Amino acid sequence: MDSTGAMGQVLSSKVAPVVENFLQGSVLDTSKDVLIHRLRGLCDNAENQPEIFHDHEIVFIMQGNPNQQPINFHARHSLMHPDAWHLRYLGVADIGDKNKLTLIRHCVDAGVSSNVVDFLNEMGFKIDFEFIAKGYFFHKGRMKVTVSKLYKILQPGSTDQVEPLSQSHLVELSVVAPRVQEQIGEDMKNFAEQLKPYILYKIELKLDHLQTV
Amino acid sequence: MGTIDVYPYPVPEEKSGQQVVDTIQKQLELLGAHKSGNFCVDCESYQSNIQTATQQRLLHLFHNSEQPATCFSVLDSGICLVSDLLFEVLVLKLTEKKTGKECYYQQRKGFKVESKGQRYELGDFIVKVGSVILASNFRGILIEVEYCPCVIPSECWNLMKEFMQSFMGNMAENPPAHIKSKMDTIYTPEDTIQQYLEHFNNFRKATSASVPATPNR
Repeated sequence: MDSTGAMGQVLSSKVAPVVENFLQGSVLDTSKDVLIHRLRGLCDNAENQPEIFHDHEIVFIMQGNPNQQPINFHARHSLMHPDAWHLRYLGVADIGDKNKLTLIRHCVDAGVSSNVVDFLNEMGFKIDFEFIAKGYFFHKGRMKVTVSKLYKILQPGSTDQVEPLSQSHLVELSVVAPRVQEQIGEDMKNFAEQLKPYILYKIELKLDHLQTV
Repeated sequence: MGTIDVYPYPVPEEKSGQQVVDTIQKQLELLGAHKSGNFCVDCESYQSNIQTATQQRLLHLFHNSEQPATCFSVLDSGICLVSDLLFEVLVLKLTEKKTGKECYYQQRKGFKVESKGQRYELGDFIVKVGSVILASNFRGILIEVEYCPCVIPSECWNLMKEFMQSFMGNMAENPPAHIKSKMDTIYTPEDTIQQYLEHFNNFRKATSASVPATPNR
């Protein structure tokens, strides 16, 4: 009944999904519809309309003295269902290994109650930056594909007054798995190949750009 | 999920904890309650180590076997975050010491406390007789009584009181302090955790008062 032991077990037995394989790219707004059309054909549930999402993400940072490494937590909730919050830790992507087909980073997801913003503030976190992501969601097997437009928030706290960040949509392919598996990278690369005419792939973290918002 | 009241049960000096637990369990069985497994509520505490913050924070991480996929985190200010079990991994991230770096939160040694024991069912009631164990020492008994069909404490208090008095005597004269302030609101699992936190803190205080020489508390 020792739950910390149980948690340790979950982690050591590698059941918890904690590794994210991902690829990021961008598509110009003008070509977005063509890409959506193609994705509908390539992904599961082609007969349905693509799922849409409209999310608000707040990135928190914990910073202490120079001896402490800053740490980021991403709190995200849907503006369509504002009470459903989600907290995420993302590690730094491993870009050193050129042999890897995708970027890989540590990733921990947890559903949380809606008082998470107050809770993180009281824990000692500060808001680093926030943005709105609006777009489409597809899945193919366990691969998640999102095409989203990012908006910056003009007035902190008000999610209605927004301005597009660029004239492109962000395209993300992601698979969260319990451990690093070669096969996942292979599948993702094959999938990405089929989108190549439309998307420019970048091996870069989108959030680096956002931090200047 | 209904309404839950948690009470400490005194252990007389001439008796051991196990003897008192046995007596309560016997009484419950005489009332017609049947065993329905074990239960455990546990709590680990972490202390903040953030120089820029104005004050030190204490973070209590709770698990309740009744909600096995949930983790409850309570800060000393009283705010409670209800989350997936994986939130614990996020807390581990804050306690991680990287090479040459300091962590933001650190676990308080010898502060782990849990209440565990037998779970009973009797009609619409669930009764849990828990032995409180602090740093692997027995510290006392907590009895949790749940009345499943009702979520508004004031609506079922008299009924619960009568039931509790049938085997706990006059221990349950008044609603627990935490419940008293919200008799007319809907009861949630978070309220159970707040009650346990209050009792666990009392046990910890009692321990540090009786053994002042222990340095790690």
